[in-house]
Amino acid sequence: MKGYLKYFSGKLVWFLITLIAAFVLNFILPRLMPGDPVAIITQRTVQGMTSQSGIQKVYEHYAEVFGTNKPIFEQFIIYMRNISQGNFGRSFSQYPRPVADIIKSSIWWTLALQFPAIIIGWLIGNTLGALAAYLKKGFDKVIMPISIFVSNLPAFGMAVILLVLFAVKAQWFPTSGGYGFDMIPNFSWDFVWSVIIHYQLPFWSIVLITIGGQAIGMRSMAIYELNADYVKYSRFLGIKDRKTIGYVFRNAMLPQITGLALSIGTMVGGALVAEVIFSYPGLGSTILTGVMGQDYPLISAVTLIISIMVLTATFLIEILYGVIDPRVKAAQTE
Amino acid sequence: MKRKIILLSFIVILSLVLGACAPQVEEPVEEEPTEEIQEPEEEETEEEPVAAGPDIDPAEIAASLPREETLYIAGLQWSAVVGWNPYSSANNNAMGIAAGNNARVPIFETPYMYNMINGEQIPLLADGPWTWNDDMTEVTFKLKEAAMWSDGTPVTAEDVAYTWATHVKYETTAGVGYGEYIDTIEAVDPQTVVIKAKLDEDGNAVNPLLLKAYVSSEYVVQKAWTEMLEDRTGGDATALKEDTAEDFVSSGPYTKFYDDDQKVVYIRDDNYWGQDDSMWGMLPVPMYLAHTIYADNNAGFLGLKAGEVDVSQQFNANVQDLWLVDGLPISTWMEEAPYGLTASLPTAYFNLESYGLDNIAVRKAIAYAVDYGTIIANAMTNQSPTFDQVPRSVMNPTDGEQALYDQEAVADLQWVGSQIEEANAILDEAGIVDTDDDGWRELDGQKLSYNAVCPNGWSDWQAAMEIVAAAGDDIGIEITTLYPEWGVYQTVFVNGDQQEYDIFMVWSDGAGPTQPWGRVRQLMYSQFAETQGNWNGNWGGYINPRIDEIINEIPSVTDQDRLVELYTEATEIYLTDIPSFTLMYRPDQFYTVNESVWTSYPSAEDGRNIPPMNLLDGYSIAGLYELELVNP
Repeated sequence: MKGYLKYFSGKLVWFLITLIAAFVLNFILPRLMPGDPVAIITQRTVQGMTSQSGIQKVYEHYAEVFGTNKPIFEQFIIYMRNISQGNFGRSFSQYPRPVADIIKSSIWWTLALQFPAIIIGWLIGNTLGALAAYLKKGFDKVIMPISIFVSNLPAFGMAVILLVLFAVKAQWFPTSGGYGFDMIPNFSWDFVWSVIIHYQLPFWSIVLITIGGQAIGMRSMAIYELNADYVKYSRFLGIKDRKTIGYVFRNAMLPQITGLALSIGTMVGGALVAEVIFSYPGLGSTILTGVMGQDYPLISAVTLIISIMVLTATFLIEILYGVIDPRVKAAQTE
Repeated sequence: MKRKIILLSFIVILSLVLGACAPQVEEPVEEEPTEEIQEPEEEETEEEPVAAGPDIDPAEIAASLPREETLYIAGLQWSAVVGWNPYSSANNNAMGIAAGNNARVPIFETPYMYNMINGEQIPLLADGPWTWNDDMTEVTFKLKEAAMWSDGTPVTAEDVAYTWATHVKYETTAGVGYGEYIDTIEAVDPQTVVIKAKLDEDGNAVNPLLLKAYVSSEYVVQKAWTEMLEDRTGGDATALKEDTAEDFVSSGPYTKFYDDDQKVVYIRDDNYWGQDDSMWGMLPVPMYLAHTIYADNNAGFLGLKAGEVDVSQQFNANVQDLWLVDGLPISTWMEEAPYGLTASLPTAYFNLESYGLDNIAVRKAIAYAVDYGTIIANAMTNQSPTFDQVPRSVMNPTDGEQALYDQEAVADLQWVGSQIEEANAILDEAGIVDTDDDGWRELDGQKLSYNAVCPNGWSDWQAAMEIVAAAGDDIGIEITTLYPEWGVYQTVFVNGDQQEYDIFMVWSDGAGPTQPWGRVRQLMYSQFAETQGNWNGNWGGYINPRIDEIINEIPSVTDQDRLVELYTEATEIYLTDIPSFTLMYRPDQFYTVNESVWTSYPSAEDGRNIPPMNLLDGYSIAGLYELELVNP
């Protein structure tokens, strides 16, 4: 038990150190980008204005509002204080909208798109990979090349192919949006159906890519395990194939679970391509606008969420490994 | 076991998919206020400007917008609406709220509507034309008796005066923008408004043109509502400008109905005062104005093709293919190229600080060598007149501006491009030759090498810059392209002493009541040279005292012949010194309409004189009263 405590507390300390580093980097990195977001917002505001001193006044107003005229250290203190109160500040690109409000309104779309897509892609991919390793022959010969092909397609390529084939040419699905262009959100079957229809193409564009990558990984792991000594020995002992296979896939699964946890950790920022190509509402397109508009508060907030989710996922995985596989704990607490 | 896991996962996922829709569905419905406006005097104490009035769910009025009552617009709104505040310039509410030269008037209204076709200012809230006093220091106009706010109270001169006082007091964009030119706006009686100019030391208006511009550029806001806004924000300027003003009172034909991250919808106010015979005599035809928020031009283009967009304010490359190849019921302002009414002049500036670009021969040679025909054919897919059709000057191609200069007097100076031989001769004559046989010319022993810069992703501009670079190859001047992100680009070129960009593109002023004076000023006014954070113009740093005199004189000139004289001289100076050069003509707003549902859109040949400005900007809104259903 003492060993576990030491293992957990060690992990927790590292978790906290990384978290603090993430905070600092989240603040600094966007601000190192060349350019001046206050100038961007000023430019939006002053179009058509003829007075030079008036334009300067507008610039100074926004510099004051966003605090960019203060020393960077003071800005960091203000940032930390605001974050501790759950206040991410106001967005540059959608000023004066609070960043929290922007994230709140789009994050659900992203999660609803990404989470099921990652899980389904992971399940199907691993099943196919395992089957390919186990069944070999024809099945493997078909699954492998397809998986390699699909997993190497860039995400935008897959999205564009689906868009052109099924939305533009066949017109089975809409080309853009999260629900019908003519709908007002409400609790009706029409609306729900509209959401489901709009969901399909972005969803499958993510699933298909995920399947390929997972299948390849699982296949290699499973082949390795299938040839392990314990498999040969258990076969020699006459243990039922079914039971052996169970052990094989449980062992092969370990690295795949790490991959899954990390995918879930990064999913908040991961659907950018699908969201942009299908004009799907969500954080992806918001992040893109944020980056293009040098929207520090928005970029910092989103990357902070991603950092925390990845760190938490990694932390949980490490803890879980310590429990599932005593060798990991033992190796690290020696 | 495995089967159970798969089944369980499936159920979880299905519930997630359906469940995920729920919060988003719920949220706007709860938060979104109704289309109606609260009475200001009743609920003054609220901190947050939440919409008051009866809690009507927009979905109860229309769960889906009836297609035959809705006009879909695209190309204006690229992210969620932020606010409805007429004192803020950061509402990101582009379909409805955009003050300026061609102020957008479906929600808030200006006294006059600008018509970019002929430069006229047509009365909206105002009754009849405005007038100058004898020494051109005061503009007087009357308001229509019928003009009403959405709460049923009349629009008065006091509202106009108080709007201006608020702009000044809280230093809004309009306040600081017009503050140098307008002294006060006063209400003489409930219907009569007088705008008094700021005077120079000689007792003349600092700039009469800006008074003229104000009446069609800035909204009139209700005094009672403004006072409530001031109370709510405690007189704090930042708070007042940041207020989202969900409870706004306006005078226009539309008001808010629904908005989220994917769309914004306005609904017609059937009590709109403009149905009075003194204005339109009817309500605008569509019940709803809707704008889907597309991720990019391409998505909006697909929407237009699919009939989900009626009016598209986007650059749609090869727009003619939509009807010639695809056979879609889509059209533009004109049937033939350039398809639209172009009004602005995207321009490449020479940085006069860059080595050799202070030499007029180098500037001239580059400008002469560029193949503008290819720029127009490729980058603009012919949606710009060529420089044969509209010879270059400081004017945009509208008839009104073209009549303001004597074309014959400057005909010798108006180059059309691709004049490689002439360009090479200019350089040879100036002694700028290749002295070290490396293929590039040198000036005083130093190789002429420049970058041609515009923002990344602005594809038509990038294509134009490639052609400028290619022209360099033909005349022995090394020109390479550089495409920084817009965020970076716009912090560099606005600084007068920047050394990073040599030849760089900036847009020009389009059409408006201060044009073409504003454009001449933008292209050449010495005061802007070498200033930091310069959003006004003359980015290359050109200095010429004579052009400054012309720019200072024009605003007070009323004699048409003198005006033509001055503009002709300005054009002559511009085409001789070439501090910058126009690459193409471009519409103020792109205008492509889909006639699947609506028809009778304004077009060039229909004689109705309604400008192609989205049916929203200035007098273009008249188009909303002219629409007809394809299948009534």
